[in-house]
Amino acid sequence: MKLSAVQTDAMQELGNIGAAHAATTLSQMVGSTVQMSVPGIKAIDIADLGNYMGEESAAMVVFELQGEIPHGGFVIFYITRESAIRLTNTMLGLTEMNRPMNEMDESALLEVGNIMVSAFLDATAELLGFVMLPSPPAMTIDMVHAAMSSLIAGMGVDTDEVLLFSTELTCEEHKIDSDIIMMPEPKTLAHIIELLENMMKPA
Amino acid sequence: MQDLTSPEGQTAMIGIGEYRVGSFPMMTIGLGSCIGLTLYDDTVKVGAMVHIMLPDSAGRTDRPGKYADTAIELLLKELAKLGCKNRSLVAKMAGGASMFEYFGANLNIGERNAVNVRKYLKENNIKLAAEDVGGKVGRSVTFTPSNRGKITVRRADGTNCEL
Repeated sequence: MKLSAVQTDAMQELGNIGAAHAATTLSQMVGSTVQMSVPGIKAIDIADLGNYMGEESAAMVVFELQGEIPHGGFVIFYITRESAIRLTNTMLGLTEMNRPMNEMDESALLEVGNIMVSAFLDATAELLGFVMLPSPPAMTIDMVHAAMSSLIAGMGVDTDEVLLFSTELTCEEHKIDSDIIMMPEPKTLAHIIELLENMMKPA
Repeated sequence: MQDLTSPEGQTAMIGIGEYRVGSFPMMTIGLGSCIGLTLYDDTVKVGAMVHIMLPDSAGRTDRPGKYADTAIELLLKELAKLGCKNRSLVAKMAGGASMFEYFGANLNIGERNAVNVRKYLKENNIKLAAEDVGGKVGRSVTFTPSNRGKITVRRADGTNCEL
């Protein structure tokens, strides 16, 4: 679906509010300032997905949106491998960078993702008056293209284009670079847009 | 899409739902539940590769490379134009992983993709010579028709294999 300029602005604002709450929780967890980018919106044809992400390895904590719409799409906490190790090192009081990721890292990342995505969805729900409940999280540390294409294949509808709403969250002090990404299914997106447009109408 | 030379002699990258036919090297990057399927004819020295995403087209015809059923039909048609016979074609596939076991909606799409590829190959009497499918790991696949249809699989866990 193609978004108008007004719809794009509204979605950016929604992403902004959600990501700001997620950033606050990340900031509390690492005990340091977290900067946030302007939310970006990308419409990607699945055939071109490889132009946006490749075989580089990253950690992704994924939640399926449930609630009022059963297969609502996905929210993903994405963090590069190096940043993931810096993040868990910071949280667990470790310093060694050249180490394989272990179960401790994975459960720490899962928890960070859980807290951040919950904050993101709570904030957007409050604004929209529409609850998107997250599924329990699933995590993978693998090729980004492999993970994202698997999620698209698993969507409730067979789609040739996806919309990614992503906000970059960075912590300069600990050199942590991460993204919070929302990939709604078309029905969810249409519903969110409708709610946002209703809010913008003069009372 | 059936030009027989690759752009500037480089490896042709094949995105989701896309395919190529020829004798130049081809590659699919980051296969999760998707499948990279190759067909190669050693008498004609030509091959084809497709990046399949879903097991069944359910009647859709606009992106035949995206679905196991229409992708195989399409490749066979394109290869037949170049003189390939079904009995001399050899198939190989990789991918079909299950990266997120939890989610209900994508009940084993990777496995269903692999099952359907095998089924449609069999229906067309195509020999499936080798496969590296399943598990939880992402894969990138390089297909080299000029090296007798060899495929090289690079897995996200750092292991590699040749088929």
